[in-house]
Amino acid sequence: MTSTGNDIVALKAINVARTKEFKFYSKIIAAIEKDIFDKQDHGDLAFETFVWLLWSIKESAYKYLQRRMPELVFSPTKTLVQRIQFSASSLVQEFEGTGFEGKPVYKGTVSFGSDLLFFRSMISGEFIFSVVNGEDDFENTSWGIRLIDSADPADQSKQVRAFLIARLNKQLPGTNLQISKSPDGVPILLNGVEEIDIPISLAHHDHYVAYSFKVYGEGKPY
Amino acid sequence: MTRQETLNELKTVIAPYTINKELLSSINDETDLIRDLKINSANLVDIIIDAEAKYDIEIDYDSADKMTNVGTCIDVITEKLDQKK
Repeated sequence: MTSTGNDIVALKAINVARTKEFKFYSKIIAAIEKDIFDKQDHGDLAFETFVWLLWSIKESAYKYLQRRMPELVFSPTKTLVQRIQFSASSLVQEFEGTGFEGKPVYKGTVSFGSDLLFFRSMISGEFIFSVVNGEDDFENTSWGIRLIDSADPADQSKQVRAFLIARLNKQLPGTNLQISKSPDGVPILLNGVEEIDIPISLAHHDHYVAYSFKVYGEGKPY
Repeated sequence: MTRQETLNELKTVIAPYTINKELLSSINDETDLIRDLKINSANLVDIIIDAEAKYDIEIDYDSADKMTNVGTCIDVITEKLDQKK
């Protein structure tokens, strides 16, 4: 089953002092993951940003796997980032795209049980954005990030749906696209009332919303 | 402490992380923190840490993973308080 998972963290909304406290970050990252930060050259990446980077990767992995395992419970400390290649740049200039070729990405692998997944993340001064895929190839993954004027959950939900639908409408002209949720709470794409086999993932935090979906061929949705 | 008392106290723990405070007046065991109370998942760890501080308990990783709705939050807090006795 093909899937996608993404997450966004608005850096203005995180509690920096609390994130640095052991009792807090130890509920998000495992000791073996703290070693990655301590032992690898991570450039000027702050520890609190590292913690939330791993959170966004883990949440993305959870969303990816939830499509296949509806009963899955998000467990940050059991979802482990195994390998991470740090980015030399944090200059995010494009906020919509397909794939991450030439983008300033952090990349690596994340595991949950026997599942090994692959991630790409981008960090700007304002946000951390991650996407997870089952293969180390994101050419077929489309994504978008948008700053919105409200942090109200109802507005976030409405605006992230409109953002994704606007993108998909360009690729699927003549359709009546709508986003709904499966009984398990997984977002699904509908043409009218009929579900379309295009995995989508939605994310929001504070004033940021983001999406990912899978495409194939010449930019056509999977 | 009765389950109702724990529920009432839990509302004060959850309140800072939900924008629509009026939703708290009708919560019950089945209320999902993310789906029903619209709490951002990034704040779930805050709720666990605040519950630990409020009750002077330690919530282990497996217990923390269970705290997705009001009922399981009360269960975990009650269990950890019982272990202190």
